[in-house]
Amino acid sequence: MASAQATAEQVERILAARSKNRLFRSLFYVIVLALVVWSVNTTIVEDTDWKRMGSVSSVLESVAEFIGFDFGLFPNLLEPAIETIMVATLGTLLGVVICVPAIWFGALNITPFMPITYPVARLMMTLSRSIHEIVWALFFVAAVGLGALAGVLAIAVRSVGFIAKLSAEAIEDLDHRPVEAIRAVGGNEFQVFIYAILPQVLPTMIGVIIFEWEINIRRSSILGLVGAGGLGLVFFRQLNTFNYPGVTTVIVAILILILFGEIVSHLVRKAII
Amino acid sequence: MASTEASHRERGDVASPPREWRRFKFPGSLYRWGGLLLALVFLSYSVAYLNIPLERFINMFGRVGSLVTDRYYPPEIDYVTDPDYLASVVDTIQMSYLGALFGLLMAIPLGWFGSYNMTPSRRYVYPLARFMTMSARAVHETIWAILFVTILGFGMMAGVLALTMFCIGFAGKLFAEEIEAIDMGPVEAIRATGASELMVMAYGVFPQVRVAFTGIGIYTWDVAFRAATVVGFFGAGGMGWYLKRNILQIETYRVSAILLSIVVLVLIAEGASAWARALVAKAK
Repeated sequence: MASAQATAEQVERILAARSKNRLFRSLFYVIVLALVVWSVNTTIVEDTDWKRMGSVSSVLESVAEFIGFDFGLFPNLLEPAIETIMVATLGTLLGVVICVPAIWFGALNITPFMPITYPVARLMMTLSRSIHEIVWALFFVAAVGLGALAGVLAIAVRSVGFIAKLSAEAIEDLDHRPVEAIRAVGGNEFQVFIYAILPQVLPTMIGVIIFEWEINIRRSSILGLVGAGGLGLVFFRQLNTFNYPGVTTVIVAILILILFGEIVSHLVRKAII
Repeated sequence: MASTEASHRERGDVASPPREWRRFKFPGSLYRWGGLLLALVFLSYSVAYLNIPLERFINMFGRVGSLVTDRYYPPEIDYVTDPDYLASVVDTIQMSYLGALFGLLMAIPLGWFGSYNMTPSRRYVYPLARFMTMSARAVHETIWAILFVTILGFGMMAGVLALTMFCIGFAGKLFAEEIEAIDMGPVEAIRATGASELMVMAYGVFPQVRVAFTGIGIYTWDVAFRAATVVGFFGAGGMGWYLKRNILQIETYRVSAILLSIVVLVLIAEGASAWARALVAKAK
């Protein structure tokens, strides 16, 4: 009897919680819907130049301009494509080099002096991730001049955040027994790092680096827009000369490049793991 | 050493000469050092191919330092607290969540069709969905922005559409991976009751991935916001336009103020997204 009453009370409580939950939930949906309607109104309805866009058929016409290939462009694509891959590779490698202090300072268990070095590393990672690669490229073009070097630096700085964050997390989760073992046989800090920490995190790190390389191909393919070489420059030229089939060709070339990067990264990661 | 070799020879078993211990044995060591050598050759070749002036690289640090201290410091904070600029920040936020919302809505079916275990047809639908998410992801958000600006004209609609494409690529892949990792037990149970594919999706798959999808959705918004800060650079609305204008006018103090505001906003967005994801994970 008593237990039945308890169960009934429980059911009542659950039902009350559920109806309260439902109220909150519907309120939440209403707020989201209102926000969406408001922002659709301000961003799309009010801010679009409907006259310039014209009717649906004129939009379709301008889309149709992009259909087709510019086969004459093929010989001019190979070199920028190689450049793009090289910028991505060099940028990733340089990024790995810049990463080393960020990883060392940013992993909570091995950071040398917690109150100063840890925030410094966190700041490095956040700065690197929050500023877009276009902005980094502009900054480095101003610093070292036009050319591939600016692209390499932009890619390197932009990769630091991702690689360092994931690697530092991998170091934070590592098994402590090998570290103690190497310490116990008299290894110094450097030897502890080489023989106890590195072998544990290396597979994760290589996976992360290769994944970042794949992303960096995508990034380096647009850096030409701001003067850092590669396929982006060809894209920009085709667009500025209104050669829309050429634009499509460049985009297809970028797609093929990315597909190549994805296949390579898949194979390498499979070989490592 | 010599005497043991001699004794081996006397006994006639030359098959096992004494060796020094090495960590990497012969064929493995060859591949290893060969690979390293190839990597070095590629590295130096690409430095030469790209005409990278290494001497500039070395004195770059001083130049970056003087560039920052002479030209970009102090940032003109008044410029970023201007109501016009703040309105563009609001525009950017609106663009980012609209793009994320539309992108997520389209990424859910694409994730379903592009997951190997749940796709309606492995022959046709699966490769198609995979190809669509891949191409949405492969084309960089700035290229999407440029394309939509050339087709639809300047304005935030182009930005929203560019971010939508970006989010389709970003979330579509993660959604598909999440669906591929589900437990197939409930799916089989619901199939056994004779449910249609859509019902299997709604009752067998969706409850399993709901929390993960919410987390991915919030994270997608976070990434879309970062992209939204620059789509305006190519005429698609938001803060990017202010950035471009000031860069072209060489108003470097304003540029640094805008960059600073972007960093602060991205930090806030990241914090908000981490908080929301923790909330979702707790509500699970």
